[in-house]
Amino acid sequence: MFEFIQSIAMVPEAGKATGEAVVPSERPMLADHFPGVPILPGSLLIELAAQIAGPLAEEMVKLRYGLNRWAILGMVRDAKFIQPVPLPAGLKLTAEVRRCEAASVVLQVSVEDRGQLALRGELVMMMVETTPDWEGAIRARNERLAKWRAVR
Amino acid sequence: MNEQSTLEVVAAEIRATLGIAGDAPIRSESLLFYDLSFTSLDMLDLLFRVESHFQIAIPEGTFYELTKGVLADNDFAQEGMLTPKGRERLLVLLYDSPPKIFPERIHIKTFLRYCTVGAIVRLVDYKLKMKVRD
Repeated sequence: MFEFIQSIAMVPEAGKATGEAVVPSERPMLADHFPGVPILPGSLLIELAAQIAGPLAEEMVKLRYGLNRWAILGMVRDAKFIQPVPLPAGLKLTAEVRRCEAASVVLQVSVEDRGQLALRGELVMMMVETTPDWEGAIRARNERLAKWRAVR
Repeated sequence: MNEQSTLEVVAAEIRATLGIAGDAPIRSESLLFYDLSFTSLDMLDLLFRVESHFQIAIPEGTFYELTKGVLADNDFAQEGMLTPKGRERLLVLLYDSPPKIFPERIHIKTFLRYCTVGAIVRLVDYKLKMKVRD
């Protein structure tokens, strides 16, 4: 699920993050969307934006409140799919914090495809406390982020 | 803005939050979680909506601070649960919620579960009053 993101750069002090994603056309789960005219599903655009927004929200809450919390997508309050994204695609993702509280972070997100805006939306990440059984997930998240950051 | 018009706006925002018809009745005494099947995400969405409509800020902890009032932290809550004094203050603030819905021990993060539509209207009117004062 996280293999499409190639890189991330975060500036929590400014509440901003950017990232890059590459989505090939030959993935089985995308094969019938649509035969001969492969288009990235809108729900995946949201998910990719959330994959950038989540780590930024976690960094912000850590910076502002000193809390280690896990970001889970809670609400898509607004989303406009401005144009279809043909596959394969190289996407530029951005996230900017609009509101940061210990329990929730609101972010404006956008996705550009070939220099054109494809998605603009507002996501709410719910910041949950983790328990010891999250250890594996946290380790995987940290490894993933280290890899994404190393590309920059 | 008087309470009736605040109520009309809050009711409209509740309908939008829940995605229900524009003529669905929303009464001041309706309990958000019990009568209208609100979830905590619906509550967050509603608060964002009323903030945006009325151009007011309702940051996390607003309800806690309003309920606590002048009580010292330790007099109000201990280990995340309301003290008897704290519980009494909450029931005064939420005077239009039936007392039977309040459990004996109330966690400080659950206040909004016991709110009526009218309580949200009062919160908005209070915030509007503070805004004018500032």
